[in-house]
Amino acid sequence: MAKEKVKRKISRREFLIAVGVAGGGLLLGTKVGLPFARLKVAELFDSGAAPGGMDADATAWFLITPDNTVKLFIPKSEMGQGVHTALAQIAAEELEIEWQQLEVVQAGTGQGLDDGFGTGASNSVSTMYQPLREAAATMRQMLRIEAARILDISPNALTAQNCQFISSSDKSITYGEIAEQTQTWEIPETTPSLKSKRDFRFIGESAPRVDLREKILGKATFGYDRRLPDMLYGATARPPKIGSTLKSAQPGEAASRTGVVKIVIEDDFAGVVAETREQAYGAANALSLEWDTPKIWQQADIDALVTVGQGKGIQIQKEGDPEKSFAKAPIIEAEYRTPMAFHAHLEPQSATVDVKPDRVDVWAATQFPVRLREFVAKAINRKEEEVFVTPTFLGGGFGRKIGTEAAVEAARFSAAVGRPVHIGWTRPEDFHNGFLRPPTHHTFRGALDGKKIAALDHQQASGAVAFPFLPGAFKAILGADFGAWRGARINYHIPNKGTTAWLPELPLATGWWRGLGLLANTFALESFIDEMAFAAGVDPLEFRLSHLSADEIGKRRRDVLETAAEKAGWGTPLPAGHALGIATSTDVNTVVAQVAEISVTSDEIRVHKVTSAVDPGMVINPDGASAQIQGSIIMGLSSTLVEEVYVEDGQLAADNFNRYPLLRMAQAPEIDVILLESGDQPFGMGEPPIGPIAAAVANAVFSLTGQRLRSLPLKFT
Amino acid sequence: MQLTINRQTYSITEDQEIRMLVWVLRDQLGLTGTKYGCGAGICGSCTVLVDGKPTRSCLTPAATVADKEITTIEGLGIIQDGGEEILHPVQQAFLETQTPQCGYCMSGQMITAAALLDDNPAPAEEDIIAGMNDVYCRCGTYVRIKEAVARAAEIIAEESSNG
Ligand code: FES
Ligand code: FES
Repeated sequence: MAKEKVKRKISRREFLIAVGVAGGGLLLGTKVGLPFARLKVAELFDSGAAPGGMDADATAWFLITPDNTVKLFIPKSEMGQGVHTALAQIAAEELEIEWQQLEVVQAGTGQGLDDGFGTGASNSVSTMYQPLREAAATMRQMLRIEAARILDISPNALTAQNCQFISSSDKSITYGEIAEQTQTWEIPETTPSLKSKRDFRFIGESAPRVDLREKILGKATFGYDRRLPDMLYGATARPPKIGSTLKSAQPGEAASRTGVVKIVIEDDFAGVVAETREQAYGAANALSLEWDTPKIWQQADIDALVTVGQGKGIQIQKEGDPEKSFAKAPIIEAEYRTPMAFHAHLEPQSATVDVKPDRVDVWAATQFPVRLREFVAKAINRKEEEVFVTPTFLGGGFGRKIGTEAAVEAARFSAAVGRPVHIGWTRPEDFHNGFLRPPTHHTFRGALDGKKIAALDHQQASGAVAFPFLPGAFKAILGADFGAWRGARINYHIPNKGTTAWLPELPLATGWWRGLGLLANTFALESFIDEMAFAAGVDPLEFRLSHLSADEIGKRRRDVLETAAEKAGWGTPLPAGHALGIATSTDVNTVVAQVAEISVTSDEIRVHKVTSAVDPGMVINPDGASAQIQGSIIMGLSSTLVEEVYVEDGQLAADNFNRYPLLRMAQAPEIDVILLESGDQPFGMGEPPIGPIAAAVANAVFSLTGQRLRSLPLKFT
Repeated sequence: MQLTINRQTYSITEDQEIRMLVWVLRDQLGLTGTKYGCGAGICGSCTVLVDGKPTRSCLTPAATVADKEITTIEGLGIIQDGGEEILHPVQQAFLETQTPQCGYCMSGQMITAAALLDDNPAPAEEDIIAGMNDVYCRCGTYVRIKEAVARAAEIIAEESSNG
């Protein structure tokens, strides 16, 4: 592979160009340069935070091959959110190529550039939209210059289409031919002008997903599926209770088991490598182990910790002086709780690692390859540069696949046996050894002035979400965990309002979950807004509309609220025994309103229909967006109606779906999606629509029964 | 012992017979399209057809299906001699409706749907729900699965009326 020189170095820092020529092609990368300070501010303003603290680095690059296809390398993980397709649409648009001329390649850490963000927080498309378009347009311009040189005509006489340039005099040359015939590339000083919206052919269209054909054929490789010649299987001994640590470990009876290749006992780690996974698990169970368990935790202990007023509270929002209003008017009060929840991605944690003397290869279902590389390198004492992580498809992520445990275990085992080792956790392992959506507690005080809210105070306690994954210094600067309070601040136009976040230390791990704190916080806040509406004697929709700010975001909130209400038939007669509830949330600048239509039969809540209006700024792929909205609503409804896990005698009570059922098809409502566009910049789509659903249902239940259910899952007790 | 999977015969050594079918398929035979989700018969990700009946391979010892016809996702369509795949109507419909998200549950969904349509080629919505209700989808594609199964029924009807 020859390194080529560039004539000029590009001045714009967003691009990382001229990586060189690989296989006769042109490589061009784009870098998302969100500086640290801006990232931090972004987090503080709730607008598209990345799992922060890491470097923002390159996030996509192209390779033009001589057979005239363009490969788009994407380090973002595909976990069903359609990110590969959306990014391909954006690239194809500016490259002026046809859909089948583009091939999406999942990039690993060994190929070129790193993605310091990871995949999550609904930021993939919003952070990459502009840079990717600019990079693609730059590459098109570079190709145009060389095409003009080769054909000996003016660059302006050439039109790009169909992966080639054609001239009015009928000369033409393909991108592949240009790449083959060019030694030295000229890089434009400035970004070429981008296509105008009305000329878009791909952006805004429902392009078919690029990953679905292999998925319907059963051929897509997930982390659980990666197989290598000579591969062994590993199983790790698990702590019996929350907080248990390994006191001593002996091979015991495991040593004589068939199939056992090696018993690995290290500090605080014991496990078995065997020829088959059943042999590995059987032998791991036969190890002779002693555990230290300092305390047997119960759910009541956890609830006591997760209580407003416990630990340290940090005020994250303050306008006016709520306390003054509370001194003057009657106070309306309520408290809410949400339980812990599993991610319950159907593919448990998994990884395959091959530790060799000169390099370490890792294949894993991971949302954060760069982080995984760091953890693997550390665990087996190797340099990060020797570790290469290739993300597989993810069988669901939802935040949990930022985890590194399976790959670290596979690496330890592979290092011990010198052969590739696969780790595929069982469902009980996955439920008991991960991190959870944190439990939350909320207290509200509100005061009315006529039909308007004069003051509102939200006190929120939650286990950590982002902090366990950030460097300590970051925590000290931020004080409050922005993941835990995502969605907790009061967006309504209220003269006196405040939000305080309390962060207890819990004995079990909590962290990222789809939407972070959005579902829990919106459930509490939007239910309480309904309580205030009832106290004021105002229709819940009218009440919300009368508390919107007069600015742009206020207008966008009005649009989604009015659209969802109108489409759902708000204020019109419903079938007997049905009622509607409405709620709204704003997340990563995407605004969402949902109306739930429900009925209740022998204390069972049935959700018939959810109408969801979403304004994500701009829509790249309407069908993909609607799939994300449908999925968010179903997952959120599962939390609303059925999901909950608690601690019992020192361990999580559920270790499989028998005690932690998920929502099923028979419980799934009809879903009506309305997409609104308010601008030229796409915001996030994967998580925001999970915000309002629980509150919308709870508000409908109140409207129907007069009962205000203040904890999840919603139950009449 | 022999297993007949996707119209092909595989010889299985004695030590494999006690294994659950899901691991024999995945780890022994490399047919990783069949997924593990719970190992407890609940999620349905591991569903395969045994003599046409949807069966949870995580709870099915290989020895118990020795003389039966097993179909996994890899054998749902037809692979022609040239290597070209002809999709099963269910696969076609799941693709057309862009139903899969992460795709992990989808082998179980499509296998279950194929069995359902085999029994009842023109299912009403309640029949679809009853037939598909025991297969989880964490990505929440239920709305589309319903559409996809209805669409597959249409494709089957079109195909049979065309001869
Ligand atoms: S893996 Fe067999 S039903 Fe879940
Ligand atoms: S598509 Fe992801 S679990 Fe169904």
